[in-house]
Amino acid sequence: MEDSKRQQFRAALRETKNLPTLPGIVVKLSRMADDPDSTTEQMGKVLSKDHILAAKLLKLVNSAFYGFPQRISSLSSAIILLGFNVVKSLIVSASIFEMMEDQDVELWEHSLGCAVACSVVARRIGVDEPEEVSTAGLIHDIGKVAIKMELPQEYEMITRLMRERKMSMRQAELEVLGLGHDEAGGWLTKSWNLPTKLIEPIACHHDPRLAKDEMLSSSIIHFSDILIRGMGYGHAGDDKVPALSKRAWQLLNLSPEDINFIIDEVEEKLWEVKGFSLEIQAETENSATNG
Amino acid sequence: MTRILVAGNDILVRPESRVMLEAKGYHIITCLDVQAATSHFLDDPPDILVLEKGLGGKGDRGLIRMVSACLQKANIPILLVIRQEEMIAGIDWCDYPVDDIICFPVAPETLLIRVQLAEARMNRVFDNNPLSKLPGNTSILKAIQSALESEKPLAVCYVDIDNFKPYNDHYGFSQGDDVILMVARVIVNVVDEIAREQSFVGHIGGDDYVFIVTEDKAEEVCKRVLANFEAVRNMFIEPEDVKRGGFVEKDRQGRETSFGLLSISIAVIPTNHGKFEHFGQVSAAASQLKHKVKALDGNNYLVDQRESYSPG
Repeated sequence: MEDSKRQQFRAALRETKNLPTLPGIVVKLSRMADDPDSTTEQMGKVLSKDHILAAKLLKLVNSAFYGFPQRISSLSSAIILLGFNVVKSLIVSASIFEMMEDQDVELWEHSLGCAVACSVVARRIGVDEPEEVSTAGLIHDIGKVAIKMELPQEYEMITRLMRERKMSMRQAELEVLGLGHDEAGGWLTKSWNLPTKLIEPIACHHDPRLAKDEMLSSSIIHFSDILIRGMGYGHAGDDKVPALSKRAWQLLNLSPEDINFIIDEVEEKLWEVKGFSLEIQAETENSATNG
Repeated sequence: MTRILVAGNDILVRPESRVMLEAKGYHIITCLDVQAATSHFLDDPPDILVLEKGLGGKGDRGLIRMVSACLQKANIPILLVIRQEEMIAGIDWCDYPVDDIICFPVAPETLLIRVQLAEARMNRVFDNNPLSKLPGNTSILKAIQSALESEKPLAVCYVDIDNFKPYNDHYGFSQGDDVILMVARVIVNVVDEIAREQSFVGHIGGDDYVFIVTEDKAEEVCKRVLANFEAVRNMFIEPEDVKRGGFVEKDRQGRETSFGLLSISIAVIPTNHGKFEHFGQVSAAASQLKHKVKALDGNNYLVDQRESYSPG
């Protein structure tokens, strides 16, 4: 892969403007925004279940205009600082998929499942800020969405390679673009001024050894990604479970009891998520038939 | 370079208008629908908004509300473009809190001179705090005076940040500014969400703020401000200081002293019962109460319980 080509992809991905959201989420949130009785907190609960809107919210609160660059890593704080009106505006400005594909819903489910697993693992290990780890887990695959939207032709080639040569998505990305969605997500969030706490775990979720400051969070997201794929919730674009990093595994230092606890806890928490997902898909279908 | 966001049909700004405005140093961004305008506004707020009435159904009002609530830039002038028949039918200005109207079709020289006037008027605008963009002392004085004259029981609430000075010395003024801005955001957003009616938020300066809400909402607002501040605070403090529960810094006498983490104190002065006649009495009562609140540890608010007020 020649460097200039890689640079060109890099520049295109950094410029990503259009990250579409599931119609069902936008419909639900628009309804809440119009309801005088709904609170910012309630809307925050829904926003924090969507990898795209969550990423946009963090982009907004860390932008130079709002005055807190590279500082805000939690969604609840972002909502407190931006306020009801800005959150409503964010919903108005949200774009939705022009062509909904099953995999868009599946990637959303995978992201949400990964956030749930991150939160359980982070709490079990006893990290200081479990909410931030779970937020990083929620948006860890944002690079995949950016590649699909910004580089549609290359994305076609990537899916063809996966199909024809039975490659994992990341292998195919490396073959076609010379870079993976993890790196792409890292640049994107860096160009949005997100804090290192979030950038590193996204950029290093396939190889936590690359993390300088956030190796533990990166390891949690790396492991949660594998765990949620193994548990068969959602679909991350391919059916290949990534190799577990030895370094990450040592760092997490989970005992068999920990693993049992984590699997039970994630299973339980997924019930709520599954209910929410069904609700959103019903909204999506409604909006398709009425829209 | 003044940036004008034009939201509406692309015939609003004809090519000759564009040439004329750009020759005068204006930069024009055109968005054809509410979604694009909102999105653009969030990413990069303009200096002036020219908006076609009726854009996106009621979407035009949503856009106006967003611009009015924009905290990064106070007072973005909004010029509403209306049609002859709308002028005859009349417009409810409560629905459309805009600064000026222009009648369609818009002649280039009319647009230019209206934009220039809007800019000039904005530059005349009072005393906003340059950091938080919130109204400053002149407006605060007026707001408190009119609160005293209001029929409805209101509460004037004075907010300040505990341990702000040592924080500012320890972390540097740029981080201090961030905290001042953060507290402004927290207050504005809470007041806006739960007590918008007859409310006011002003910035006295430094780490002192005032907000006015109806008396029945005052405690709820205080509680929420304190809780929200508590939720966000640690993002502005080094993790080791959070763990330690404070930091060491020189006090006003130059001695090394350990200070607790940032917290917030609110002194709430209800204006009813006619116990105050003028602004001075309110601020005197507030400063007495503030001493009491600040003596308490952590985040607190206190409501003035005295039935009558005597100076001293």
